[in-house]
Amino acid sequence: MEAILDLPVIGLILQFIGYLVQVVVLNGGLIITLSTPIGLGALCGFMNERSGVVNIGIEGMMLASAFGAWYVASISAGFLPDAAGPLGFTLPLLIGLLAGLATGVLVSLAHAWLSITVRADQIISGTIINIVALGITGYLALLISQSSPRSAGNLSALNLPQPVTDIPVLGWLLATFLEHGPITLSMLVVVVVLQVLLYRSRWGLRTRAVGEHPRAAETVGIDVIALRYRNVLLGGLLAGLAGAWFTIEYGNSFQSGMTNGRGFIALAALIFGRWTPLGSVGAALLFGLADTFGRAIRQTPPAGDLGAVLGAIPPQVFAALPYIVTIIVLAGVVGRSIPPAADGQPYEREATAR
Amino acid sequence: MRKQRFGLLASLSVAALILGACQGTGPGTGSGSQGPTSDLKIGLVTDVGTLDDKNFNQFSWEGAKQGAQAIGAPEPQSVVTTASADYAKNIQSFVDQDYDIIVTVGFALGNDTTKAAKANPNIKFIGVDQGLCVTESGDPDPDFGCKGDAAKLLPNYQGLVFKEQQPGYLAGIVAASISKSGHIAAIGGTKVVPAVANYIAGYANGAMSVNPDIKVEQQFVSEAPDNAAFNDPAGGKAFAEQLLAQNPDVDVLFQVAGKTGNGVLQAACDANIHAIGVDVDQHESTPESAKCIVTSAEKKLTKAVSDAIKRVADGSDKGGTVPLDITTDSIGLAPFYDAQSLITPDIQSKIDAAIKGLKDGSIDPCSPTACV
Repeated sequence: MEAILDLPVIGLILQFIGYLVQVVVLNGGLIITLSTPIGLGALCGFMNERSGVVNIGIEGMMLASAFGAWYVASISAGFLPDAAGPLGFTLPLLIGLLAGLATGVLVSLAHAWLSITVRADQIISGTIINIVALGITGYLALLISQSSPRSAGNLSALNLPQPVTDIPVLGWLLATFLEHGPITLSMLVVVVVLQVLLYRSRWGLRTRAVGEHPRAAETVGIDVIALRYRNVLLGGLLAGLAGAWFTIEYGNSFQSGMTNGRGFIALAALIFGRWTPLGSVGAALLFGLADTFGRAIRQTPPAGDLGAVLGAIPPQVFAALPYIVTIIVLAGVVGRSIPPAADGQPYEREATAR
Repeated sequence: MRKQRFGLLASLSVAALILGACQGTGPGTGSGSQGPTSDLKIGLVTDVGTLDDKNFNQFSWEGAKQGAQAIGAPEPQSVVTTASADYAKNIQSFVDQDYDIIVTVGFALGNDTTKAAKANPNIKFIGVDQGLCVTESGDPDPDFGCKGDAAKLLPNYQGLVFKEQQPGYLAGIVAASISKSGHIAAIGGTKVVPAVANYIAGYANGAMSVNPDIKVEQQFVSEAPDNAAFNDPAGGKAFAEQLLAQNPDVDVLFQVAGKTGNGVLQAACDANIHAIGVDVDQHESTPESAKCIVTSAEKKLTKAVSDAIKRVADGSDKGGTVPLDITTDSIGLAPFYDAQSLITPDIQSKIDAAIKGLKDGSIDPCSPTACV
């Protein structure tokens, strides 16, 4: 075994794979946790774009929801009992989660109105959402910090019983995928449901039709406007979940600008995943993996030859690893990623078009 | 279509301007104290945030009020900055109203304060956490060459900087003393910011002084002073969790990463280990993590600003970078609060001895790990 690892190039590659496996085994749960806001954000984008509405405002939607969830949860914590139920749900946290979802839907309603009803430029609409969300949540957070509301705490992870996690391999898999808070778990469910619905349901067929060729869809009696509205608002729920993850699941307080660009990475994951739910979340997971791997190399670099080789690479490269991986996979593996044909085009009803 | 787009962009930028506009000042109530009187008008420009942020702004503001009271000057006025683009404008608003002393709070205002100090040699400027670095003509030096002699070129500008290695050293003593495993960690935002590197160097040295065999993990979240380094609590929590997964026996975490570090504090709470805060008393400034914060390596901003104002009043102020350290009690450890029970008399005596040693110079907080 030692002899193989000492071989020139092949040995190094084997060592690298060994190290990668080690990192994944140790941090599997963390990779999925960190992929949650990106994955849910990408699913929000999926709901929008497959029905023909470009959404670059995911970042702003997430930030607004993060604020809404946190603020309402903290306010309710002031006068509601905080006995914890399953998954760390307290009454204030439940209300906070609902507020986060509502915020996501409200912001999406603005986006839908601007890009569907008013037929404004959808890129501009998204940009407005990003700018306004950052400005308003930052400003409100400043005002609120003066009364320093108490933190409502955060949702806790599912705990599998010890005998289950002790099963070799299967136990690790179950722990990695299931020992998460409710929002992360919901992403794992939603992605499968959406993937099935997209290709196996009437809603999926109609959504694809409206995204590819809305005129044709209307001629067979589909209400393009209504379907687009519905999908954008449902997407807002997913952005709301992603935002709530920041302040009531993974974290327990709000900071201005705390989404830190993850909404834009979600957009990349969507393109990367070719506008499919599984692809998008897969891309988010790959992103989380690269991120975790980059941290691991800087925190605990491998020993031996591999460590020497990796040590010769500037650490900035590892910090940029998620982005490098994205570019490589986008350019090389995925090939050409084709958006829905009507993506970004406001629809005018046939009757009003003339 | 094209035109419409630019129209929209224009209205967008107007909206952004309105959102970022400055918040204005509150009226002063005047000081009713006896003793010395002075007619120096003192204005304070905060960094982005609020006056009661339990952080840099609040403690600098209290320093300005105390300083004003001590010299018998009228109640200071403040402008709260709401967007970093407004620093220069907010400083200028005090210049235009003929203020005598302008205090600017935070490293980020350094460049604009330098420019204002050069343009207004008759106004005294006090910059909190601002090391002066100017070109030979007295302008801010973007390349950090620092060729100019700031004390000569800008005699009206005191840049208050703190020797972070000293509170770091004290924090290291606490960490090593309460660690059961002999394995502790420090997580910094980025090592390119000297303050971060110095805190952590002092921490490692302080820990070694108590236990020469201690293992001190010294990790940095980012390679540059960006959002990931200082404004990403989720990323900070992930960084700390990964560190703890690799080193499960680490039982004290010291954060030097701003708001990213608030995630580090949360990770420590989740893992039921001890945390040490930074810059201000984080037991108060981050109440959600208060239960695991043992103490904080603190810069005593109130005293630093108040002293600087007194120096202006009695004419003993000198321009240039003013290094503040433990000899003037400008740095130290925050109270232990609920963690007081962890601090045995033996540990307290070690801390007291270190404070004494740092004051008389017999302890070098930059050895063996060198500071920047």
